[in-house]
Amino acid sequence: MAEQAIKVQKLDKHFEGVHAVNDVSFEIHQGEIFSLLGPNGAGKTTTINMISGLLSPDAGQVWLMGYSVEDNPRAAKAELGVVPQDIALYEDISARANLNFWGKMYGLRGQALSERVNAVLGLIGLEDRDTGPVEKFSGGMKRRLNVGVALLHEPQVIIMDEPTVGIDPQSRRQILDSVKQLRAQGVTILYTTHYMEEAQELSDRIAIMDHGEIIALGTHNELIEIVGELDRISLSISGDSQKAKQAWKKLNGVEEVTSDDGILHLLVTDSNRILPGVFEAAAAVGVHITSVDIREPNLEAVFLHLTGRALRD
Amino acid sequence: MKTLTIALKDLSRSFRSFFALAFMFGVPVLTTLLFAFLFGGVGSGENAEFTIPTTAVIVVNQDTGSPTIPGFDLEGETYSSLGAVLAGTLQEDNLSELMSVSLHAEIETAKAAVDAKDAGLAVIIPPDFTEAATGLTDQEAIITFYQDPELSLGPQIVQSIVMSIVDGFSSTSLSLTAINSVLAVNDIRLSQEEQISLVQDLSRAAQSQTDPGDSLTLLSPASAGGDSEESLLSMILRSVMAGMMIFYAFFTGTTSAQMILQEEEDGTLQRMFITPTRTRTILNGKILAGFLTVVVQVTVLLVFANLVFGINWGPFLYLVPFTIGLVALSGAFGLFIMSLVKNTKQAGVIYGGVLTFSGMLGISSVFTVGTPAEAAFKIIPLVVPQGWAMKSIEAAWSGNLSQSLLFAGGMLVWAVVLFFIGNTRFNKRFA
Repeated sequence: MAEQAIKVQKLDKHFEGVHAVNDVSFEIHQGEIFSLLGPNGAGKTTTINMISGLLSPDAGQVWLMGYSVEDNPRAAKAELGVVPQDIALYEDISARANLNFWGKMYGLRGQALSERVNAVLGLIGLEDRDTGPVEKFSGGMKRRLNVGVALLHEPQVIIMDEPTVGIDPQSRRQILDSVKQLRAQGVTILYTTHYMEEAQELSDRIAIMDHGEIIALGTHNELIEIVGELDRISLSISGDSQKAKQAWKKLNGVEEVTSDDGILHLLVTDSNRILPGVFEAAAAVGVHITSVDIREPNLEAVFLHLTGRALRD
Repeated sequence: MKTLTIALKDLSRSFRSFFALAFMFGVPVLTTLLFAFLFGGVGSGENAEFTIPTTAVIVVNQDTGSPTIPGFDLEGETYSSLGAVLAGTLQEDNLSELMSVSLHAEIETAKAAVDAKDAGLAVIIPPDFTEAATGLTDQEAIITFYQDPELSLGPQIVQSIVMSIVDGFSSTSLSLTAINSVLAVNDIRLSQEEQISLVQDLSRAAQSQTDPGDSLTLLSPASAGGDSEESLLSMILRSVMAGMMIFYAFFTGTTSAQMILQEEEDGTLQRMFITPTRTRTILNGKILAGFLTVVVQVTVLLVFANLVFGINWGPFLYLVPFTIGLVALSGAFGLFIMSLVKNTKQAGVIYGGVLTFSGMLGISSVFTVGTPAEAAFKIIPLVVPQGWAMKSIEAAWSGNLSQSLLFAGGMLVWAVVLFFIGNTRFNKRFA
């Protein structure tokens, strides 16, 4: 059995002049939750479409549980469940009919199919709503069923492409819990999101993507170390921002000052200690601080540190 | 197995869609029902008949006859003029279902009766009609029709009958001229008595040949007896039903193929491609769904039309080549046409334009019967696939197996070509 559930080697993809994925390589170990974190358009979906065999890469290769997606696609796909970003269900038929159909597409038949459909309906909390047409479901229920389809054939590897976009907190929590439950069962999960908190809560390792490239990869703590475990102070001001930046850069303990969409960000060693000095320096150059936000290091800060932009830009 | 799974899923979704059901079954049946009501064959019980309303006709006979011809003997009666012969013929019993004839002396009172809608048509025979019709003078005689503008079918039938009789009289004049010419060459001259006798004989002969009672046979469902005779209504409904069935079978084939595009837009097609299933298997399943849907549609419509409208489709075995051809062709046509468009928005143009135009052209022979364009529209529809289907079913119900097979073969050739192009394009698109 392959040690790596997913192995991606030098993937490359262009779309009409846009370099959507640029020389991407990574490996995901069995039983690991691996998150691809990045803003919209970073290349996450293109990457997972190539991993799942939906798109052919211009260059590079992918292996799923040791099977080459290019050379042995059916064996590779049999090991894989995919939760697409957009809901891909037949809305005019019931949840049970959907699961029955998709189960058959994964080769399940008869008693085995029936048992798996019932199990998945229980797992996604839709056992009481299995007969009505899906079009009557709430957005969250559709999302859960969208996840359920990928679990039917008990795959070794599951790819989830932003499975919690636009849903209610209850459904979101249910999906996140089911991801943890799958990990407990030894399933490997590749999870893409632009929600930093989700990646932080779920992931064993995280790859941060931007403009088609992986700009950082590691555990949460390893990524935080990139920004040197610094606190981040975000300030809104009225007055000359250039004068403020210059004044703050001179303060002891301030490592970096950047601006983003009118907000000034300071990376500091100890925000509680340095904050009074920040106010004094601003006042000295005639700048008035209108709001302050202090954050300890997180993935948002890492992304900001690496790209100079906020993750949700 | 997966091909069948996909096909059955699509089939069940199609039959859940009100829109699809309306197009597959509702519209063809409703259109045929409409024709059935228009021609009075439905809802009237066993004695239902296709009837043409009786037209009230006023004849004003001003024909004074010819001083040289004392009279015309016809079926034991002597008429003083050809105008009287015409009026008498129109009053015969065998035309009483079509017209009720009354005689008026004055033109003005006849026209007033038509204006007052007491009559549908006035036939005015001029004074010198006999002289002109027999060729005894060079004068022209013009019969005038004065018609209620709100009526069409009844008065037109009466006018056709009058013209048919007058054509017979004209042949008298032509024959007399021809006979005199031939005799003159041989230097033979007929006396006046001989000429008059000849005119009377020719008129009698012409009259017997052009008896509208002999040339006009109206059949109705109630009067059509035996297995070999078929009612006019039944024939009309059969043509309409066949046309509608073919027209909408192509819509069904195209709608089924459109589900490929629809599923691509919904993301479910991509989701299928992620499963351990070959692309070709997935597309085959979707194509099979189209064929199966048309099979169900055509079978239901054929049986329904037979049971409800009493439509005789001809021998069952003769219908088989048509059905196979229609299923193959409409499915392949849909696949081909949908392979040319990028998305379901563009597919709207296909429905509004290509399918409607080619469909109407293909079944145009149904609506051009009895028109000047009839001959042309026996050939023109063959430029579109629907035309071949129409020809095939017409041959089937006419009992012409060889022609039915010929046109069904043509449909299969169309189907193979269109399927090859459509299937190749889709496989390339999703490779």
